[in-house]
Amino acid sequence: MRDPSPDIKPPQLPLKVLRWFCDPELLEDIEGDLSELFHSRASKSIYRAKLLYARDVLQLFRPGVIKKFGRFNPVNNIDMLFNHIRTAVRQAGKYKGYTAINIAGLVVGLASCMLILLWVADETSKDQFHEKSDRLYQVWRNLVQSNGDVQTTWGIPFPLEHVLLTQYPEVEAVTSYTWEMEYMFRQEEISSFEKGHFATPGFFDVFSYRLIVGDPKKVLVDGPTIVISDRMALKFFGNDWREKAIGQTIKMDDRTDYEVTGVFEYPGDNSSVQFDWLIGAKQFIDRQTWANSWYNGGFSIFFTLRPGADTEAVRKRIEQEVIKNTNKESNEPLYLQLFSENYLHGTFENGIPVGGRIQYVRILSAIAIFLLLLASINFMNLATARSSLRAREIGVRKVMGAQRSTLSQQFFTEATLYAVASTVVASAIVYLVLPYFNMLTGKSIHIRFSDPMVWLTLGGMIMLTGMLSGAYPAIMLSSFSVAKSLKGRTKQVGGNYFRHALVTFQFAISIFLISGTFIISKQLAYILNKDIGLLRDNLVSIDLTGTLYDKKEVYMNSLRGIPEVKDVTLSSASPINLDMSTGGATWPGKDPNMVIEINVLSVNENFVKTMGMKIVKGEDFSNAFLRDSARFLINEVLADILGFDDPVGKELTVWGTTGTIAGVVGNFHMASMYDPIAPLIIRYSRVDAGTAFVRINANTYDALTSIERVTKDINPAFPFRYEFLDEDFARQYRGERSVSSLVKIFAGVSIFIACLGLLGLSSFSADQRSKEIGVRKVHGASVSSLVLLLSKQYAKLMIIAFIIATPLSYFYMRRWLGDFAYRIDMNVALFIVAGVVTFAIGALTVSYRSYSAALANPVKTLKEE
Amino acid sequence: MTSKYSLGEFEEVVLLTVAVLHGNAYGIAIKEDIELRLKRNVSVGAMRTALRRLEDKGFLESEFGEATAVRGGKRKRFHKVTPLGKKALDYVMNSRRKLWDAIPATAFQFK
Repeated sequence: MRDPSPDIKPPQLPLKVLRWFCDPELLEDIEGDLSELFHSRASKSIYRAKLLYARDVLQLFRPGVIKKFGRFNPVNNIDMLFNHIRTAVRQAGKYKGYTAINIAGLVVGLASCMLILLWVADETSKDQFHEKSDRLYQVWRNLVQSNGDVQTTWGIPFPLEHVLLTQYPEVEAVTSYTWEMEYMFRQEEISSFEKGHFATPGFFDVFSYRLIVGDPKKVLVDGPTIVISDRMALKFFGNDWREKAIGQTIKMDDRTDYEVTGVFEYPGDNSSVQFDWLIGAKQFIDRQTWANSWYNGGFSIFFTLRPGADTEAVRKRIEQEVIKNTNKESNEPLYLQLFSENYLHGTFENGIPVGGRIQYVRILSAIAIFLLLLASINFMNLATARSSLRAREIGVRKVMGAQRSTLSQQFFTEATLYAVASTVVASAIVYLVLPYFNMLTGKSIHIRFSDPMVWLTLGGMIMLTGMLSGAYPAIMLSSFSVAKSLKGRTKQVGGNYFRHALVTFQFAISIFLISGTFIISKQLAYILNKDIGLLRDNLVSIDLTGTLYDKKEVYMNSLRGIPEVKDVTLSSASPINLDMSTGGATWPGKDPNMVIEINVLSVNENFVKTMGMKIVKGEDFSNAFLRDSARFLINEVLADILGFDDPVGKELTVWGTTGTIAGVVGNFHMASMYDPIAPLIIRYSRVDAGTAFVRINANTYDALTSIERVTKDINPAFPFRYEFLDEDFARQYRGERSVSSLVKIFAGVSIFIACLGLLGLSSFSADQRSKEIGVRKVHGASVSSLVLLLSKQYAKLMIIAFIIATPLSYFYMRRWLGDFAYRIDMNVALFIVAGVVTFAIGALTVSYRSYSAALANPVKTLKEE
Repeated sequence: MTSKYSLGEFEEVVLLTVAVLHGNAYGIAIKEDIELRLKRNVSVGAMRTALRRLEDKGFLESEFGEATAVRGGKRKRFHKVTPLGKKALDYVMNSRRKLWDAIPATAFQFK
């Protein structure tokens, strides 16, 4: 619309001013009002109307009408950031000691945290690479005993595979494979021992192991064929194995020929299962017919479900398969577990998984978080303790118009800067110590810097550390009142309570970890040194491979001829790692409803003597073959179960052989310390015993050379291989030992960080109180009383920390120990020692600075003003 | 009034005038009505602030009306008393009345 009288117009200048300051929301209305007013006034006097217009505009310049200008002009944000960084660097340079403490704490904390994260990432990535891992299941078998115990085993009756394939439409693919076996393979001049499995054709369908050469549909079929790993192929066929390997023949144990039909990529670190060869399961079943029965389990069975299949329905149906197919003779419900969960959740109790390595993953993750927290607390404590030194800076900044948010930003910037610097140093340290870390944990972790996850994690750590350590200073320091902070030294903010609480928290964590370390290493020492019922030192085991097995009599006799050899025996398995059991043993007077799984060990003469076991009742096997094959030894546990006053001479039937009990062997540990000792029958058998055990004297080197010579004489085709029983025993607890050493190291780290913080705090308070100390000294206070004065408050904190940490530690360690059937008693002394150690280290740290403060010449401290 | 409904004296006048001018309460009309009826001078700025405050407090609501030539093509913003505004006015009046009622008859007998 056009103005009706163009010559009468509101004055332009006031209008422009109005348009500049007026809230745009109100502008249209106000302009209209003013214009209407102007026109009505202009009918009297244009000049006056213009004047009034200007006056009205002036009067409109008031809150409520003026538009909201941005509180800040955003252009100087970048400059402020640079200013903050500059200030932080100057601060760091000015107080080098505190900076060093801060950085050292953060570096150590971050480096430990990174190492743990790498370890955790490695643990949690195991077996996750299978493409169908979200529907890839392993079958477990629960053996329900009549006393209510449930033993869970991987060994599943082989016929289940066929049932799954034909009767379960939900199942996509199935595979079974045997336990890990080791054979000697030979191709022309090259020979080596390799481990692997007999597996059914579904293997490469169910799992995502990569077949490099060969047709996945045609490998592992019924004929005598083998697929080998690229490692093994390289060993046997050289660099051009891709072209040469297929169609070649490899001899196993100098007996059977197998044709190579494929080469797969060696599973590698991401897989919990390692193997170098796979042979069709048919080859195994044909020879070991016992395995193809619903009553025996010799295979691990895995299958994938079709996408969208009803897992619960399959689970319910599968549970009954063994019970159904044995006409309820075997009460053995089956259980399904996602294969990807098995590595971390591999411990079963009452037939369901109750944990396993996940326990250690949790413990170490918690430690990682604690360590980061400890280091951040140092930063917080020092920043707030030293706040009074920065009071003026904050005051001046506020006077110059800094908002609280700007100040917070400043402290966050400072904290983040420290975090960045520490992360860079920590990454370098991690990179350097990683080989040692791998050695300690038995892993082969390496950092791939090309992986964006690495950078994301590092960035995340910087952010987290910056936030954690910057938050409290940012809130507290920015809240200073201008007047007070400019007046000079203000009181420290936040009160001592908060700082003390944080120090207490740090020490509580340290005490917790240290007492945990004590208990874990004591338990491990207990396990590793416990009298296991046999003498495990200087005991060598040799598998009877090749011609050794056929000529075992000759071999035994030549071994006995070696002067360093004390005793020789043969056994079907290592006595600390039994692998055979039966549910079918009977004896007169046995409750017909009793279901009991009994371990069976087949041995030759001299077994008890060679092993250093004790006969508690009755007698050992004698050398008379015919007599002994109808006689058994049992262990004390089984003797208790049988319930006879004197079991010697009583009848027993095992695997179809009826004989009498010759004697009772003192209990020995034949499985891990997590499980109680199980019942055992030792039977005499020349056929089944396939491992020689040789007791040698302390002259180990000579003994082994002689044994090697004798072995090579009889069995020249095979390389000489042996194992020490004590090493084998220690290897069973490798996981526990590596976790124990990790916890030990990180407990040390935690106390180091806590002490750094304590050092910073005590130095600061000594500086703050230098005048007070001077005055006290002038009045005759002794050095020792001054040290006590300065250290007293920290002693109190450590005692509180001890009181908090001990019950927590007791609680958690009792749970950890509860998993072991054989364990140490936790006595109070352990905790007291942990407390005293922490206390001593803390006290040393505090008194170091207190002492030098107390020694200072009062003239110097009092002079300066 | 710091109690339930905070309403200043001038705000009360403006709010009442908006009610008086029911349906035609826009800036200049309110200003002129107050000047005419109450014989007091009202500046554009003061009135504008009062209107904004009343609107912020929820006693008024407004919408744009038509534009006219005399307003330079700018639309009018018409104001209306909300139910809450009505309550506030009632409250103010009641409190005044209570006070009036409480005054003893003798209080205003000036000699």
